[in-house]
Amino acid sequence: MNIELTDLTRRFGRNQAVAGVSLEAGPGVLGLLGPNGAGKTTLLRMMATVVPPSSGRMRLLSRDPGAHAQRREIRRRLGYLPQNLGYYPAFTVVEFIEYFALLKEMPPSRIPKAVAAAVEGVDLGTKARAKLRTLSGGMLRRVGIAQAIVNDPELLLLDEPTAGLDPEQRVAFRTLMRDLGERSTVVVSTHLVEDVGAACTEVALMDAGQIVFRGTPAELTVRGKDHGIGDAPLERGYSAVLAAARS
Amino acid sequence: MIERPDMAPPDVDLDRVWTGVAAQVWRREPPRLERAAARLLRSPGLARALLTTPSLLAPWLIASVVVLGAGTIATAGTGEPLVWLIAPALAGAAIAYAYGPGIDPAWELLCSMAVSDRMVLLVRALAVFALNSVLGLAASAASGTAAAVTFGWLIPMTAVCALALAVATVTRSANTGAAAGSAAWIITVLAGQATAGKFTAVVTEAVLIIPYLAVAACCAAIVVYATRIPRGTS
Repeated sequence: MNIELTDLTRRFGRNQAVAGVSLEAGPGVLGLLGPNGAGKTTLLRMMATVVPPSSGRMRLLSRDPGAHAQRREIRRRLGYLPQNLGYYPAFTVVEFIEYFALLKEMPPSRIPKAVAAAVEGVDLGTKARAKLRTLSGGMLRRVGIAQAIVNDPELLLLDEPTAGLDPEQRVAFRTLMRDLGERSTVVVSTHLVEDVGAACTEVALMDAGQIVFRGTPAELTVRGKDHGIGDAPLERGYSAVLAAARS
Repeated sequence: MIERPDMAPPDVDLDRVWTGVAAQVWRREPPRLERAAARLLRSPGLARALLTTPSLLAPWLIASVVVLGAGTIATAGTGEPLVWLIAPALAGAAIAYAYGPGIDPAWELLCSMAVSDRMVLLVRALAVFALNSVLGLAASAASGTAAAVTFGWLIPMTAVCALALAVATVTRSANTGAAAGSAAWIITVLAGQATAGKFTAVVTEAVLIIPYLAVAACCAAIVVYATRIPRGTS
């Protein structure tokens, strides 16, 4: 298992963002669905080792992120796209991706090819030498995805990766996610149930800091039978599970 | 993702060939300074992180040189040792703007990288401090003030920098850190004037060295504590 979480919690002052999440995941694409404030981003940030949990047990890639040396090993094998990607406006696309490849401690001799593959993977070859300040929001999102995949990560965490992408790019990105999910664990936090239906092998639905559903997209769809809210079958399943969790 | 006509012989992977070509075309030789830093720090990632320090970039350095240059000219013109008054506050602000969520655009990403964010903080702080010390010493030497005043501000500057860094780290705000460092230095200078009757007392009185070093040590401990990741939860 690449992700093993047991009763994980995270508090920010009085607010409990994550309230006892237990989760195991191996290779594949896991979609994290849920309303705003459900705790998806906090859970992803904990798995990215950006914030530590308040309590509970977490093992990533069979290592303990609480121990310095093991955390470093996890981070070498990790790809992370935060919800708000900060960037250096004067960097070019290649420089930005190369910078994070270096910070992930990739062997310097491997970096040029890995950067080129990541740039091509998100279809930004024509903008490789463009300054980041000249790019559109969708292109910046793709730069963010490229830096996340540059080290061919075993664990890839993506927070709202398709935000700002046009429909064509979104379709291409789903293909990329499916490819990556064949050999690594991809966790995608999203509001878009169509992304989950098209690319995810499993879904976890979060509400109020807890996972209230875990299953395949097909199983989530089944939950929505005879439920009136939602335009698509998956949306109806999503609404039905949330309604049941809150009742 | 790009469709290409299937014209190549079956044993040639065009995508792989193209990636190799693109890697060569886009390859950029790191600047000499970065290569030297990578050798010194034994980490190319840390070297690149050092060169992205906001307060080591050209606009900041030019501004620092201009401020210290103006201080040098004013000192030479008026006979008042203004450089030592400016240098610690300037260095404190530079340290506060060296690292943190408020000033580093990609801070969230930096915190998930194999190169330790604490190491990045340490290396950046040391580099900014060293550079500001050199600039301050050059300005002091050029202004021709007494030797005690010329070198006396280095220890107070250490305390001001440590305070600015600690406040910036704890509050996660570079502005707050810079303000705290500057305010503390101004209050210290005014207190020296009030008690000893001269501004220069805060840099010439040997009795103050121990308190300055104590403040610097406490602030350094606060920075170390504030940047830890607790390990008891995994």
